[in-house]
Amino acid sequence: MIGTTKKPLEEIFQAVDGYAKIAVVGCDGCAKVCMTGGLDQVHELAAQLKEQGKEITLEVSPERTCNIMHARNFLTPVKDQIAAADAVIVLGCGGAVQITRQTTEELGLTIPVKVGLDSVGHMDMVIPGVMAMEQCQECGQCILNETGGICPVTKCAKSLLNGPCGGSENGKCEVDPNRDCAWVLIYNRMAALGELERLQRYMAPKDYSKMSKPRVLYIKEGRCA
Amino acid sequence: MKLTELFQKKTFVITGEVGPVKGCSRLNGGPPPDYIQEALNIKDHVHAVNVTDNQGAAMRLGALAASVLTKQFGLEPIFQITCRDRNRLAIQSDLLAACTLGIDNVLCLTGDHIKIGDHKSAKPVFDIDSVQMLKIAAGLNAGQDMMGNQLSQATNLALGAAANPNFEPLDLQIIKMEKKVAAGCEFFQTQPVYEPRKFEMFMKKVERLGVPVMFGMVVIKSPGMATFINENVTGITVPEAWTNQMAGVPKADYKKKATAMTIELLKEIAPMCQGIHFMPFGWSDIIPEVLDAIRPYFPQ
Ligand code: SF4
Ligand code: SF4
Repeated sequence: MIGTTKKPLEEIFQAVDGYAKIAVVGCDGCAKVCMTGGLDQVHELAAQLKEQGKEITLEVSPERTCNIMHARNFLTPVKDQIAAADAVIVLGCGGAVQITRQTTEELGLTIPVKVGLDSVGHMDMVIPGVMAMEQCQECGQCILNETGGICPVTKCAKSLLNGPCGGSENGKCEVDPNRDCAWVLIYNRMAALGELERLQRYMAPKDYSKMSKPRVLYIKEGRCA
Repeated sequence: MKLTELFQKKTFVITGEVGPVKGCSRLNGGPPPDYIQEALNIKDHVHAVNVTDNQGAAMRLGALAASVLTKQFGLEPIFQITCRDRNRLAIQSDLLAACTLGIDNVLCLTGDHIKIGDHKSAKPVFDIDSVQMLKIAAGLNAGQDMMGNQLSQATNLALGAAANPNFEPLDLQIIKMEKKVAAGCEFFQTQPVYEPRKFEMFMKKVERLGVPVMFGMVVIKSPGMATFINENVTGITVPEAWTNQMAGVPKADYKKKATAMTIELLKEIAPMCQGIHFMPFGWSDIIPEVLDAIRPYFPQ
């Protein structure tokens, strides 16, 4: 999922400063799981905006706002409430905001679409409802087969491909003593699997052209460019 | 002069360290800056000096400029180059620049992470790692860039790398060292170890790599410095026994005590390795005395 955190309220108030009527759109996908943008948080923000003297024209939370199909299905029937607002604020990832903007444009509305969350990365839920962790950066050339299913591109603070740096101590990372050194994890895993010899292979520099922005996924052709 | 030539002649190689300052070093005809003067004090006792690259991820005068300056004052620099601040173009370009400017030795390092330095909000580069850098540098020595393009003139650089005998699991460190050697590493400088047995075990494991190893010696100047290292510098541990020995003498005698302890340690270490890399942090004046005392213990 895409991890999100709430922006400070003052920043949100600043973003909608000068707009009297606000439509609040959440996301019942990742943002709901992160407890930052589901329907509960939409209502909460709407109440806070009302306290600031704003009029709220809409409170909805599409199932996955980053998907244009869901956004259309949800927002088309409430077009008038969006049109009645001076601005839309989206409690979703950066993608949800842009898909919402696209939807309003498709609906023929020219209205500012603002963001109420900060997107903080591709996150995997490791402790349900408590902790999610960044484990993949979508590098376009997955090397997990060589590293025991533990990603050094993401979990090593320096994205080292050929083994640990000198700063690892007691199995922890030089950058944060509370975090495991990815390369010690990889070593232990490969040792347990009896595959240590795989670690001896030279790993060539990554092809970062596979990560050059913005990537487009052509689903029918199964190709990313 | 390339360090590799010394190793070939079976010379026990001694190196020191120069840490460029936060500031420009335009001389305007003046004397050498302090950080170079410190190395000049031991000029007759060392074969070369490392010139650190934004050490501790703190922004300073560039290591290449400081290396050239060091050379102008008659010392042999080992240009430290890290992956932290340069992508693959910049690394190759700086290696070409180093050779062009008369540098003969480079130490290829990953580099401390941005987060421990003084520009914590900077974007860390780490486009390639130290093993890949060594391979690329070996390629430049052979006349090709990493994409296989022909260079108009090849570099001629001796390629060094770092190793950490304190690392646990040690076998993981050895795997990385093997990769470094296969990539083109011609000598190692280690992190300091204060337990000779630990270093001995390490040397037994790396002997088969057939690459000279220089023992890294950080002179512990006070019990406070030991505590600081243990708490803030990852990858190095000063044992309690070492700290206690120092704490047992009056402050005025720390230097004498540190010199004596360094000598005792190196007497045991020197026969096991091919050189010593001193990181004296302001106490380079003790190096001549240390070297005189341990010379009989250099391997023949
Ligand atoms: S190597 Fe790491 S970053 Fe790349 S795709 Fe695999 S898990 Fe993701
Ligand atoms: S300590 Fe381990 S995880 Fe941290 S940067 Fe070094 S190799 Fe990567």
